[in-house]
Amino acid sequence: MQTTPSTSDTDLQADNLRRAAIDKSVKVPVLFLFTNGAFWLMLSTILGVLAAIKLVEPEFLGNCQYISYGRLQPAHINALVYGWGVQAALGVMLWIMARRSGQELKSGKSLLLVAAIFWNITITFGILAVVMGKSTSIEWLEMPKFVWPILLGCFLCYAWPIVRMFGRAFRPEGFMVSTWYILGACFWFPWIFITANVALHCLPGLGALGAGIDAWYIHGVIMLFFVPVGVGAAYYFIPKITGQPIASAQLASAGFWTLAILGGWTGMQKYMGGPLPAWMTSIGAATGVLLLIPVGLVGLNHHLTTLGKHSAAASSPTLRFVFFGALFYPVSGVVLALNSAFWTGASLQFTQSWYAFQMVSMYGFFSMCVFGAIYYIVPRLSGCEWLSVRLIRNHFWFSVYGVGTIVIMSLVAGWQQGADLNDPEHWDQTFMNHVVNSRAYVVSRAVAWALISFSNLMFLIHLLLMVLGLGRRSSAPTLLHHDHDETALPNGAHA
Amino acid sequence: MTNFRTFILGLTAAFGLPWLCLIVLPAMQYQQLIPVAYDKDKDGVEGIYPPAPINAQGQLVYVREGCNQCHTQMIRPQQLGLDGWYKGWGQDQEGRPTAPVRPNVLRDYLSEKYALLGVQRVGPDLANYGWRAPDEASLYQHLYSPRSVHDWSTMPAYTQLFKVQKIQGPVSTDALKLPKKFAVAAGYEVVPTLEAKQLVQYLQSLKKDYPIPGQSAAVAAAPAKK
Repeated sequence: MQTTPSTSDTDLQADNLRRAAIDKSVKVPVLFLFTNGAFWLMLSTILGVLAAIKLVEPEFLGNCQYISYGRLQPAHINALVYGWGVQAALGVMLWIMARRSGQELKSGKSLLLVAAIFWNITITFGILAVVMGKSTSIEWLEMPKFVWPILLGCFLCYAWPIVRMFGRAFRPEGFMVSTWYILGACFWFPWIFITANVALHCLPGLGALGAGIDAWYIHGVIMLFFVPVGVGAAYYFIPKITGQPIASAQLASAGFWTLAILGGWTGMQKYMGGPLPAWMTSIGAATGVLLLIPVGLVGLNHHLTTLGKHSAAASSPTLRFVFFGALFYPVSGVVLALNSAFWTGASLQFTQSWYAFQMVSMYGFFSMCVFGAIYYIVPRLSGCEWLSVRLIRNHFWFSVYGVGTIVIMSLVAGWQQGADLNDPEHWDQTFMNHVVNSRAYVVSRAVAWALISFSNLMFLIHLLLMVLGLGRRSSAPTLLHHDHDETALPNGAHA
Repeated sequence: MTNFRTFILGLTAAFGLPWLCLIVLPAMQYQQLIPVAYDKDKDGVEGIYPPAPINAQGQLVYVREGCNQCHTQMIRPQQLGLDGWYKGWGQDQEGRPTAPVRPNVLRDYLSEKYALLGVQRVGPDLANYGWRAPDEASLYQHLYSPRSVHDWSTMPAYTQLFKVQKIQGPVSTDALKLPKKFAVAAGYEVVPTLEAKQLVQYLQSLKKDYPIPGQSAAVAAAPAKK
């Protein structure tokens, strides 16, 4: 360091002031999104428990039409995807982009708040409509068709300032790794969302092609929206907290562009062997396997970045969650490849392994990265520190065990279902064997969702206390192991 | 790549190509898809294909209840699964069909706004359920109380599609005949509502294995036969 201590001190102070100003400018919308997202997550996990129970014991809580599996399961998924997923993603995107580009949110704060409120109201009506019997039965788009223009408008209210911040920022070489992903997510989601909704709600009937477009939509939203946000957050927080620069710019760039090029092709393999033209499902299956390349590249890069810094994950809650999420990215890639490849996909088609893919990418990967981000962002916005190490630790472990159970059990159940379906012994039997054999796996899914519900209850309470400003008043961040923090974490990590 | 415009162009190109090839062009092509006529000499049958549309009114009930969460409507070719050989999954209801049911093609779903190919296969496939559907009374019983048919069933009981009413005068002709264990209180009867009737008509109309024009009936039914 060439500078004298006094100037570096004032530099640091100016830096901190600038950061505080940026944080303050995005505080209201970001906290609003996180809090509401946490409520939806809570609801979604409870619905997940109920849906799993209803799949085993349909008479649980009586034969009420509003809670039959066919209505609960879509409500559970929609609450997870639109209530929690997109909302939390928008909050993380806005904050990271503001910080990364060094831009304050200048105007339109009230518009952002209004958009967030409308988003929540619309989803409330949409999910109520599904439960009341207005479902469209189009997977991930079950909410009635009035919701999509409103959701799109709300999303664009957020996408616009995020893109503007990026456009105005000073961008030196190598600046963009995490912002590439966030910008990509901003850009792709509306495109995918409009395409799928126009095709399925506005065009006059696409028959079986519509089902293919729906499968493409689900994979598109996962691979080109939730994955980029999760990876972007990982690329932002891992270097920031470990104090290591990203290991390889080439790997980062290659990982991004291969995802961008391959992501749009996958999805239709869900209906392989079905009525769709064979080339469509084949190309979906091929890219489903090829997506292992970007997944592997990002995984390798994170691995190289964190080499020798693993102890930091023991003390920093953010790093621990992001670490785990980043670990689940390759797992989700492998599950997708298993579902897509012809020789395994033939068994796994129409089984719970598709649920395993949705959950490993939505919860194991995306949500864990976002939890990490929230543990970092919220103290900076609310001006107080997380209250309890124990709550964070419980949240982490119950989530890890819960989502691990769901993914493993759903995969094994998928294998079992596929084997049952293709067992020549069963060709003239009723479906009894299939139903009885998969029962145990669904029970374990219910238990796992119950664990996750419990962990999210703690997360929700903790977050609410923070948002209300009842956190710890301290200048030291809440770390999981205090004896480590001096050695493991560089000073600037928690600025 | 610090150039904003290059970056956005790159994103557009990377996603635009699959978007165009997988969604836009096929959707435009699909609009040209029309029913075709059978050739009496080659196919041995007359009329147009697909011959009979599904019952759209009943499909609305199927959609509303999310039946596709557990039931697929898609027969896969033999290299992917045994679907075609399952007893009763096609027109041939025999225990050992001579040929497997043919896999589905795009035209099978021509009259449907959105083909309900299904999310998971928790229950049996329904693509050709119309052929194996039992009489209406049994179907009503299955919808009203699945466990009275199979005690292991995990299908929800769609009691909201039925009305429990007091018997006035003679018992209604379409009243359900339930086994003792599942019967309603004495003096009452269970009758299907209009929605239940529509749903049953829809289930009976599910027949997606008519021969494809151009492939003779025998060939269409048995592609693997030497």
